[in-house]
Amino acid sequence: MRGFNKYFAMAKASLEVIFVYRAGFTVNLIGSVFYVVAMFYLWQTIFLGKPGALGVFTWPEMKAYLIVAFILNSTMTWFDEWQMGADIREGRVATDLARPIDFQLKRFAEASGPIPFELASALAIGAVVAFVFGGIALPADPAHLALFIVSAALATLLKFSIIYCVSMTAFWTTGMEGVSNARMAVQNIFSGALIPLVFFPDWLRGLASVLPFQGMISTPALTYLGAMDGPTTAFMIGTQAVWALGLFLFGRLLWRSAVKAVTINGG
Amino acid sequence: MSSMPLIEARGLTKKFRQAVKEPGLVGSLKHFFTRQYRDKMAVDHIDLSVEAGESVAYLGPNGAGKSTTIKMLTGILVPTEGSLIVDGLVPYEKRQQNARNIGVVFGQRTTLWWDIPVIESFNLARDMYEIPVKRYKQNLAEFTELLGLAEFMNVPAGKVSLGQRMRADLCMALLHDPKMLYLDEPTIGLDIAVKDSIRKFIRRLVDERGTTVMLTTHDLGDIEDICNRIVIIDSGRIIHDGDLGALKDNYARDRVIHFQLARPPESMAAICAGLPACETTSDDGLRLSVRFDRFQYAAGEIAAAVMPHVEVIDFHIDEPEVEDLIRKVYLGQLSLTAPESTAEATESAVATGA
Amino acid sequence: MAARLRRARWLVYIYFRCLGQQMKAILAYEADFVILMISAALVQITGFLFIWTIFQRIPDINGWTFWQVVMMYSLVFITEGVGSLFFEGTWRVSRLIYNGNFDQYLLRPVSPIVQVLAGAVGFNGLGNIITGGMLMAISLGNVQVQWTPGRLLMLVILIVSAATIRVAINLGTAASAFWIKTPWSLVPFFVHQLGEFAKYPITIYSLAVQAMVVVAIPFAFVSFFPTAYLFNMEAWSAIGLLTPLVAVYCLFMAVTIFRIGLRRYESTGH
Ligand SMILES: Nc1ncnc2c1ncn2[C@@H]1O[C@H](COP(=O)(O)OP(=O)(O)O)[C@@H](O)[C@H]1O
Ligand SMILES: [Mg+2]
Repeated sequence: MRGFNKYFAMAKASLEVIFVYRAGFTVNLIGSVFYVVAMFYLWQTIFLGKPGALGVFTWPEMKAYLIVAFILNSTMTWFDEWQMGADIREGRVATDLARPIDFQLKRFAEASGPIPFELASALAIGAVVAFVFGGIALPADPAHLALFIVSAALATLLKFSIIYCVSMTAFWTTGMEGVSNARMAVQNIFSGALIPLVFFPDWLRGLASVLPFQGMISTPALTYLGAMDGPTTAFMIGTQAVWALGLFLFGRLLWRSAVKAVTINGG
Repeated sequence: MSSMPLIEARGLTKKFRQAVKEPGLVGSLKHFFTRQYRDKMAVDHIDLSVEAGESVAYLGPNGAGKSTTIKMLTGILVPTEGSLIVDGLVPYEKRQQNARNIGVVFGQRTTLWWDIPVIESFNLARDMYEIPVKRYKQNLAEFTELLGLAEFMNVPAGKVSLGQRMRADLCMALLHDPKMLYLDEPTIGLDIAVKDSIRKFIRRLVDERGTTVMLTTHDLGDIEDICNRIVIIDSGRIIHDGDLGALKDNYARDRVIHFQLARPPESMAAICAGLPACETTSDDGLRLSVRFDRFQYAAGEIAAAVMPHVEVIDFHIDEPEVEDLIRKVYLGQLSLTAPESTAEATESAVATGA
Repeated sequence: MAARLRRARWLVYIYFRCLGQQMKAILAYEADFVILMISAALVQITGFLFIWTIFQRIPDINGWTFWQVVMMYSLVFITEGVGSLFFEGTWRVSRLIYNGNFDQYLLRPVSPIVQVLAGAVGFNGLGNIITGGMLMAISLGNVQVQWTPGRLLMLVILIVSAATIRVAINLGTAASAFWIKTPWSLVPFFVHQLGEFAKYPITIYSLAVQAMVVVAIPFAFVSFFPTAYLFNMEAWSAIGLLTPLVAVYCLFMAVTIFRIGLRRYESTGH
């Protein structure tokens, strides 16, 4: 366990970085609030205009879904393909390779460090938005809340793993801005961040269910709402865990083979 | 028109508001709520006239206000107080018109476009300054030759060496035949060979084209080779303004060359005998210093005279520092015509210049 | 007058000269530029999927049908694309001012605003313009509109005005860097995010939000009002005619703010 102290120190250091750049961080966060607020108005119009037309959810449940999605989206905002790509391209990873530190764990520590601060800010803002729009549905059962926390943690690991894998394209291209935007677009639609997956037509929902992204928003949000029965919840969280760990390990594999390829080809 | 100096500054002042911030998170928070500022007089009521054709060395310690002055003269900064006219224009009011009359090189920055080839930057300058094609071609050919630009003409500015970038920047600043050239530490960080070629180039510009030059530097070599007048500024005020003759005679003659020896010299006397009129010292036996008059000897001659007597591992020459010079002005060790007040100094300078 | 016109034409020429150089520099990284375009298209396709999914469930949002909302979307993306492709330089201003490199813009005999606008190229903009253009074409094909030459001309004027408004907002907010010194485009980004409200009919918002996007930062004139005019949406249609005026006003304000900021420019102390 002692070996993990250094990763803890790295996480702490990256949290401190957030404090230094808090102006940029705050603006980022408030900027994303506009998006949530626009969504709230849109769904409000839809729900109040056609009560019952959307079947599955009630309006308070939909509000809860939007807030949960907002909070889940607010973590690991400072970990992205740009940063990883720049580190790889400018050879900063070389110094990491020379040290007795696991490269992937180091990135994970750095990505997770700011989470307490990100969560606190997002919760505060989420609470204000929820209040302004007349409150949200709370979990009906404490068990839902407990399972939600597990699912949210897995969602965060999954997010890390996906970004980490995608970042490996930096070994072949310098266009990380485009790569990052493309990942975000695909993730937004298939994670359920833009719209709950149940609203999709069958073909689109089928596609979403075989992709890892649903574990980032949809699964934890539905768990929070208790919208799935017991076995389904267990299955969905299990799927989430398999994707999260599987991609985490796949990322290690990618990294190792990429480094090998580069050291053989490029010296 | 011609009776007016090219640059005429009266009581020129720039005051910056600098934030006072305590260190740490608490400090930043406090600053966020109760902003505190302190006024910094970067340039403090200076008077300065420069006639066409002069080449002025503008000297001072770090933070004296040199760059700030130049930024006001070029129109980048709006003065807090005072009047300023450059070639009949108020620079910050007629910025774009003024830009056509001047060339500017900041040693720390480039005016070239970072990711496009150097030649494309020049071509863009041609279009922006509306330089007649024929004139442009003449200038480009001449500067390319004199500054040795051909080898990196097609390389983006971000990828050339500092010395190359500096030479390209000089060319860029001069393609539109400016009357006035401002150089802010143009030789900083360059090696002797590049420095030398740049100095020769600028001197030639002054002599052949009559370009007026104003130069800041920490390198006395720049001043000796290029300038005929020095103005010294300290804490935003001009403390000296006069011609360069006195400086050359009294101060800049001496050079010291230091040798690192393999073994202590067998006979100091023999070495001294070979170097009459030089001051030769050897402190710990393995180091030998020779102070000489650079108008009497070349460094090579000194080395040639020393070599037969000792085994030299390494040697270097002390270039006199501008800071040293300024200190001497303060201490009264240097008999430059000490000004009673800055205004008077300016007038006397104008008189000698005219 | 003739001299001013000549000068304006010359400035446009200089603008395209600078922009052309930037494009050349970027096109050297061919793969990047393709990825950027594709990613921009992807963002729009997912946005389109989002509205499409919603309209699978409901016939209209406050009387706005699917294709009308798509029209708004396409205007948001096309104007955004124009901003990136041709005027990405506004996003560089903060950094330039922060580290003093803005100096060089003031040493050239060309308006610093023109230099700012031509300061960078964002090729994701091309992806936005192409996909946005396609969405707009499909939308126009699916809504019953009587096309007269006048209305066609108005379509072009509205697109140009909408793009002008967006770019003016970017420029005006970029000038905040003369007051607030950070290397990031904080204020511009913040305001840019308000553009989220331009994607949906403004009738869904509370009065405060409406006031913000109509009066304070007129994003409603980027998408909502022009669409309302083109599709004859009763109450709002007439206001759509004001779009070109709003564009002129925004541009005037942006340039004015920028000029005021310019006098405060302090460079940096080294
Ligand atoms: N943009 C600025 N903001 C605040 N203070 C400045 C700025 N520019 C210069 N200063 C201050 O003004 C003084 C003079 O600076 P400068 O003209 O750059 O000196 P020099 O070029 O002689 O080294 C310094 O104390 C510097 O810190
Ligand atoms: Mg300086």
